[in-house]
Amino acid sequence: MPENRLQRTGIALAALGTLGAVLLLWMVFFWVPTERTLGIAQRIFYVHVPSAWIAFFAFGIVALCSGVYLWLRDERLDMAALAAAEGGMVFCTIMLLTGPLWARVSWGTWWTWEPRLVLTLLLWFVYFSYFLVRNATENPDQGKRFAAVVGIVGVLDIPLIHVSVTWMRSLHPQPVVLRPDGLSLDPDMFITLMVGLATATMLFLGLFLMRYTVECLKREVDQRRTGSRAAQGA
Amino acid sequence: MTIRTCLLVAAILAVSSPELLAQGTDLASQTLGRAYWHVFAAYAIGWIMVLGWVISIARRLVSVERALKGS
Repeated sequence: MPENRLQRTGIALAALGTLGAVLLLWMVFFWVPTERTLGIAQRIFYVHVPSAWIAFFAFGIVALCSGVYLWLRDERLDMAALAAAEGGMVFCTIMLLTGPLWARVSWGTWWTWEPRLVLTLLLWFVYFSYFLVRNATENPDQGKRFAAVVGIVGVLDIPLIHVSVTWMRSLHPQPVVLRPDGLSLDPDMFITLMVGLATATMLFLGLFLMRYTVECLKREVDQRRTGSRAAQGA
Repeated sequence: MTIRTCLLVAAILAVSSPELLAQGTDLASQTLGRAYWHVFAAYAIGWIMVLGWVISIARRLVSVERALKGS
């Protein structure tokens, strides 16, 4: 049964991700050097940036699956988009909660209406509306189509978030990894960041596969119920 | 008498005010404590959110497997 294989792969990836998370915690609290100007609070970077990466990656999957779903109307793509959107919301929420904790120490304020924060909050609301639109219609197929459109439109916000620090006046620092003139990060900090990114990716992919499996099984139950009702009606 | 009262008030303020206390001690260590609290909170939020998602998936999986066995 393919669902069983997916579930097992999901559990294995999530278990690897959990081990990675333990290693990351050790590196963050006992190994990585403290940044000279930002101090201890800079260690939030290793949870904040991987969360942002997963939020963008997940919403990329949502947009891709939604676009192909609108074209092919394959239910598996809709289920994948739904599972990715749920994970994307979780990691986007982590990003939005850990950011203010760092900002309070570095900028002296929990929140400021600067471009990157506003665009990230907008992304959260767009994907929140993905779930609202999905459940707001009487016809489930119509809800899936509307949600797919929201998923595609929402992803347009991601490149804007990325360029907001260079195109607009922003309190956020310039990119330290994805910059044209190369990396501007201490090697130990870079290794810790990479461990954080790998951990978050494994956790997300593992839980995404498990969530996808749940959705497959749920639709199977719905189909059986519809089938038995139709048989009773006949 | 007035000078004595002023000195007494100043001494009480110096002891009780955290800002004045910070000036008298190492300022870096004052902000360090708060920053540590923020770092712990950030990682706790990360763990709680992911754990919440895991629990939510597990509950739905159990419920859907029960429904599959029942149908």
